[in-house]
Amino acid sequence: MPRLSLSSRLALLFAACTAVVSLFAGVLFSRASEAHFVELDQQLLEGKLIGLRRALHDTQSRESEIRLADELSRQADLSLRITGSDGRRWYDSSANLPDLLAQQPGLSTVNDDGTDYRVLNAPLFEDKPDSPQLTLLLDITHHQHFLQRMQHLIWLTVGLSALATALLGAWAARSGLRPLRRMSAIASGVSVHSLNARLPEASMPPELAEMAHSFNAMLGRLDDSFQRLSAFSADIAHELRTPLSNLLTHTQVTLTRPRPLEDYREALHSNLEELQWMAQLVNDMLYLAKADHGLLMPTREPLDLGQEVDVLLEFFAPLAEDARVILSREGTASIEGDRNMLRRALSNLLDNALRFTPAEGEVRVRISQQPKVLGLVVENTGEGIAAELLPRLFDRFYRADPARQEGSSEHVGLGLAITQSIIRAHGGQIRCESGDGWTRFLIELPKRV
Amino acid sequence: MKLLIVEDQPKTGHYLRQGLSEAGFNTELVADGSSGQQLALSGDYALLILDVMLPGRDGWQILQAVRSAGLDTPVLFLTARDAVEDRVHGLELGADDYLVKPFAFSELLARVRSLLRRGSTPPQETSLQLADLRLDLIRRRVERGGQRIDLTAKEFALLEMLLRRQGEVLPKSLIASQVWDMNFDSDTNVIEVAIRRLRLKIDDDFPNKLIHTVRGMGYVLEERPA
Repeated sequence: MPRLSLSSRLALLFAACTAVVSLFAGVLFSRASEAHFVELDQQLLEGKLIGLRRALHDTQSRESEIRLADELSRQADLSLRITGSDGRRWYDSSANLPDLLAQQPGLSTVNDDGTDYRVLNAPLFEDKPDSPQLTLLLDITHHQHFLQRMQHLIWLTVGLSALATALLGAWAARSGLRPLRRMSAIASGVSVHSLNARLPEASMPPELAEMAHSFNAMLGRLDDSFQRLSAFSADIAHELRTPLSNLLTHTQVTLTRPRPLEDYREALHSNLEELQWMAQLVNDMLYLAKADHGLLMPTREPLDLGQEVDVLLEFFAPLAEDARVILSREGTASIEGDRNMLRRALSNLLDNALRFTPAEGEVRVRISQQPKVLGLVVENTGEGIAAELLPRLFDRFYRADPARQEGSSEHVGLGLAITQSIIRAHGGQIRCESGDGWTRFLIELPKRV
Repeated sequence: MKLLIVEDQPKTGHYLRQGLSEAGFNTELVADGSSGQQLALSGDYALLILDVMLPGRDGWQILQAVRSAGLDTPVLFLTARDAVEDRVHGLELGADDYLVKPFAFSELLARVRSLLRRGSTPPQETSLQLADLRLDLIRRRVERGGQRIDLTAKEFALLEMLLRRQGEVLPKSLIASQVWDMNFDSDTNVIEVAIRRLRLKIDDDFPNKLIHTVRGMGYVLEERPA
């Protein structure tokens, strides 16, 4: 079954409401007018009854016959029947009155041969039990015709007003839903080239403003991720270009003329360095790609985090002693996680910290137990990082050093991005703070993966 | 001691054979899985180096055939995909080690030597020696030319590794893994610094140097003619 559009749904609902309301009003009106006619007829017939009783007071006199005729002639659509107490028909004022009439006293409506009568039965003498019966018949055919016409009119009105509201409703719904269509038009126009399109939130009706806001926020996130991704691809090409061009140039220059053996060896060594750098880059990128695809699946082994940190501090001890930097650890905690992955994450942080700590400085690792998570802080003394650079630290290839030299740099520049991926794969998060002479990387890890 | 390489990339195969032959191994190379499996099942080889993606039969299938034939020849896998499932799959099937491309030849050589050594129980030495350098494993002392040298625990472990594998070029990643149990790629220069500090104690005061840097490949401990 094809689903109805919102506009059609609304239009149909409007039409149905109008039909119900006008039908109800019509029925009420038609009932009221019918009751009104009955009341008018009753008044008229009761008035006539008095006149007729007076005229027939003396049934035997000739005079009463004249008075009766006179009384009846004043109302052309009124007829009279007089029935004896034995049920015999004494008198009919006109020839074609219906044969069978109800005998019970009071007002009733009778249809005979296409003619409608309002009938009033009453005894001629109210105080005598065996009094002859008077039956007054009022021809109300034209009333009934009027009522019927009115009913037709009501049906017509119901139909027409339903149709009219359906059409008006469709129009109203369409114009009411215009912001939605504008939204869908913008949404359908979104592609990687137009991720900067936004819905005008201010001009949206309040019901849609929230949705427009969410939609814009979604576009914003997509835009951001896409920018990062395209920057990443551009960066890869950029980072690879320098070592590749070194390799090409060096190899070609070496081959242009015969050289002493030592020169060839030197050329190969130089090439080897470039190649190793590129291999490291490719391996790191594959690692990040795996993380991006959710394929970085940490094992869960119970670890003593304090012990792990000590092993790492021992690993970095030669580097720290060389740089005359003090390494220390505070606190411990147990955690479930992947030993090698966590070591890699922390080793990147420590390596990073040691590189930016001046001589006689300090690198500290602090572990703290919190109710649900455990906190791990790697902090180092030294010149801080400008606040506006902090969010970009974890970007791929980002180097805080403005004089970065892609390719020739000793470090590939993916270390912090890898650390972040590992922490996220463990369900944790990492951020960086800098101030009062310390730069801190703060990690929160759930106690279980 | 014969090694079998099954690798369908002509260049990779050629260089692997050249490198391993020059390192002193008798090496055979085939480029397709079916003949690779045939040769492997002959049982004439001390080690199999298998690429995973091969025409004919893939590396996994060869490994399965070898193991179900009751052979326990060590198998080293070369793979272009570093998927966890691949690793788990390989280890479940009975692979002994794996290397993910791109890898350094020095790394491969070191692993090959480790695998070949695995079977034979090392003699229970009480001391290791090269030239006038002597490492006493029981008293945990190091002497050179009769002079006592003080080393930290890790320096001792590093020197022990270099002495045990003297003459072999040891890549930095292998040293990090064996001495510090750091089993991941890292571009940190900790190993360089550690070697430099060890040299300071072992070599600096002596005319014939024992620790040598093989540029771009690693470090080797050997006596070289002056």
